[in-house]
Amino acid sequence: MRPIRTSYAQDLTLLPTTGSRVRVALVTGVALAIPAFAGEFYLGELAAVFIFAIAGVGMMLLSGYTGLVSLGQAAFLGIGAYTNAVLLARGVPLILSLPSGAMLAGLAGVAIGIPTLRMSGLYLAIATLAFGSIVGTIFQKWEGVTGGFGGFPVVSPTLGPLILDSPRGLYFLSLAMLGLVLLVAANILRSPLGRSLVAIHGSEISAQSMGVNLAVTKTLSFAISAAITGLAGGLFAHYVHFLAPDSFDLVLSIQFVTMIVVGGLGSLSGAIYGAIFIRLLPQGIALLRDDLPLGIGHMPGLEPSLFGLILVLFIIFEPQGVAGRLSKIAHYWSAFPLHRRATFQRQKSYTRSERVR
Amino acid sequence: MSLFAVEDLALHFGGIRAVDGISFDVRDGEVFAIIGPNGAGKTTIFNLISRLYQPTSGRLIFRGQDITRRPPHVVASLGIARTFQNIELFANATLLQNLLIGRHSHVSASILSQILYTPAVRRAEIAHRGRAEEVIAFLGLERHRDRLIADLPYGIRKVVEIGRALCIDPRLLLLDEPSSGLNVEETQEIAAWIDEIRGTLGVTVIMVEHDMSLVSAVSDRVMALNYGRILALGTAAEVQRDPEVVRAYLGG
Repeated sequence: MRPIRTSYAQDLTLLPTTGSRVRVALVTGVALAIPAFAGEFYLGELAAVFIFAIAGVGMMLLSGYTGLVSLGQAAFLGIGAYTNAVLLARGVPLILSLPSGAMLAGLAGVAIGIPTLRMSGLYLAIATLAFGSIVGTIFQKWEGVTGGFGGFPVVSPTLGPLILDSPRGLYFLSLAMLGLVLLVAANILRSPLGRSLVAIHGSEISAQSMGVNLAVTKTLSFAISAAITGLAGGLFAHYVHFLAPDSFDLVLSIQFVTMIVVGGLGSLSGAIYGAIFIRLLPQGIALLRDDLPLGIGHMPGLEPSLFGLILVLFIIFEPQGVAGRLSKIAHYWSAFPLHRRATFQRQKSYTRSERVR
Repeated sequence: MSLFAVEDLALHFGGIRAVDGISFDVRDGEVFAIIGPNGAGKTTIFNLISRLYQPTSGRLIFRGQDITRRPPHVVASLGIARTFQNIELFANATLLQNLLIGRHSHVSASILSQILYTPAVRRAEIAHRGRAEEVIAFLGLERHRDRLIADLPYGIRKVVEIGRALCIDPRLLLLDEPSSGLNVEETQEIAAWIDEIRGTLGVTVIMVEHDMSLVSAVSDRVMALNYGRILALGTAAEVQRDPEVVRAYLGG
């Protein structure tokens, strides 16, 4: 339940209800306790969940809130990963190399944001797709720096007492970064910048008439999203230990899209649910592989087709993703037994004709 | 005294003269209505004033300043607010969030301070919230405050859009067909709001409107357009009697 409001400041707190505070404390507590009993393999996989969740938050700001589609997120991840790995190999400490990766990815975000200012929907998807493929080609051809198809081994760095050689170190580092990124994203969303992102999603024309500078705000959205994804990329380098140009391809970008749609567009927790889904599904398939009948488990392309199928099912049956479904379940119980089936149905609106473009 | 003036404004789309050399001025504190048959160029004039269209020729003067070359996002901070014919609210945000967007032109905090959410940003947010609440109280929208726009009926959305424009603290308010799609009572309510906006808040209003009862009830002067040209300009009664206007509407 929402507490009775007594001041405007109350609406600005990040976790307004006791329930939400307890939930966040519980999740943080569990995340900190897991390394005490989980094995190295599971810690590594959970670190990957955190890394994907960071990238998911980055994409959520761009696609979930600002409403700009991107099929080039893997490129930002790659830029972050390569920058971090190359700088580490040349002796730059992690505390500088990781932010450098994020920053360079952010600049790449500006570079794609400015020329695509007037695009939206399908056209923007194609432009970002092209951008991803150009960056992928650079990873392949710039052999002097990236090692080309030969790949690039990632040096294991130390960060104070933490040795990132072990999944344990990466687990804690990724968890801390995820916490930081979530805080940044939540701050953006409760400030005027966040409102202008949502406004651009709702109606560019009226956002503009309210004083939102479209060019600056959209470019900023790309830059912030890219920088966050680049940070995830730097961590991702330590997860995979070895960078190959084809690991940052379209399939990965589509996985990111799947992640935020399944998790729930327009909610930060959706990015986390999506990351859990996208990292655990392949593990689940691997576990079941030998038990599936008629060799289905060993069919090539099983994983991408399952991803695609689940994405389609979500779009049809729960467009608001896991986060939306959970909030509906929460509403069902808070209103029990007075829940009405039509609570979440929206009236169709046909008034948006003659729009100024 | 003239608050806003349009001098010989024209907008041509190829051979089509959507607005064809129009001049008028709006006095401080008046309600100025623009009427005319469909396609007369009424909304086009609004889009020219909000700088969404670039005029082919002519000038727009607001409070002595030439705003003809100002970018659209600057218009709000000068003190010109508008609503849209087909309601352009942010449907997946709450009413309160929509009003707070109206405060955007008064935001001065840097991006970095917003990301860090500094105490100054927090104080400014509380002040903006206070202003939004004043508008909510003025328009009597308290009970809808936290509802999504998508959940609100059409009539309420019309009022919310006026509220969002008022959050800009405008000197000049452009209302594009405030009564379209509303029933008689709702239209009377809009008339009362317009009176209050001019009387209590001292905001000058230009409105595009088809409903002559609303136009006669609230406006000081009326301008009738057809094919991008001025047919008549005067009080509502004068304009309604004008033979050119009668011909434009009824033919013959």
